[in-house]
Amino acid sequence: MRSRNGNRNLSFRLCSIIIFSSLTLTASEHLISYKYIVKDATLYNETLLISDAMTKCDGKPQKELILINNNSENLKQLIFANSEEFIEYVHKLGLHIEHKETTTNLQNHSTTTLTLKTTCFKVDFNDNFARIAPLK
Amino acid sequence: MRYSILLALLLSVSSLFGADKAANTNSIEQTNAELATVRAAATQAREEAALATIEAAKAKESSRKAIDELTQVKAQKEEELASMAAEEQLLKQNRSMHISVIGQGVAPMNTASPAQAYALAKRAAIADAYRAIAEKVKGVRVDGQDTVKNMMMQKSTIRTYVQAMVKNANIVETTFKEGLCEVEMEIVISHSDFAQ
Repeated sequence: MRSRNGNRNLSFRLCSIIIFSSLTLTASEHLISYKYIVKDATLYNETLLISDAMTKCDGKPQKELILINNNSENLKQLIFANSEEFIEYVHKLGLHIEHKETTTNLQNHSTTTLTLKTTCFKVDFNDNFARIAPLK
Repeated sequence: MRYSILLALLLSVSSLFGADKAANTNSIEQTNAELATVRAAATQAREEAALATIEAAKAKESSRKAIDELTQVKAQKEEELASMAAEEQLLKQNRSMHISVIGQGVAPMNTASPAQAYALAKRAAIADAYRAIAEKVKGVRVDGQDTVKNMMMQKSTIRTYVQAMVKNANIVETTFKEGLCEVEMEIVISHSDFAQ
């Protein structure tokens, strides 16, 4: 037979596990890819794709970005509200560059493509801010 | 009769002696003239020899100068190679290397506002700056093709290709003037970046 003190300890442990798991459950994983094409020194196309991760991602969170959030848990809305800041952050993470230039009879045409390959990001939503960090 | 013969003999002998003397004086004059010509020739030869020696000295000087120039050029090349080797060593020793580029971008014709034009031109300029960094760090693949028909150039094509991954590049300065946006970008690279 267990003592009353032992039961209290058990219930305290259970409560702490529930609270901790509820806190961690607010962290979600998202897949983000970004690409933009510049043709003849003029921006031609820009794409930012965001989706929820269907499977669990591997890796540890790297450089994080903190964005101001207004109680929303929608990453797309959050990123589109702070698109300039997020794109600057994406540039810092590193982009793949592919540049093709053709000069035919002294007439020049060029295409530059900058790409962030599909990367899994861990996003922690809080009341006033959200933490975004790539998993590597 | 005898006396007359003797006189004739004496006269002939004397005439012979006189002829010999004249011949002797002629030969001496000739030899003197020859000597003078030989002397003149000798002096000319000496002068020519002196000129030749002067020319040889000049040639020697010019060759020495050429050798000096060659040695200077060699020394410069060696210094350049040494500096290049030193630069390579800098990367090997995990010291950082600073690269700075300027990217240019143009706003599209159909923009809703000047702010949009600026934003789009800046994006294009950033892409150009990234391309410039990639060219400097990783290099460019160049391919050319010329078509000549009936001794006339028909078509000339040059294709360049760059592929790289750039991260941690920083924008230093952005200027926007008359539709052209210029972005100054810099990156600090070290050997460990390549090791990754």
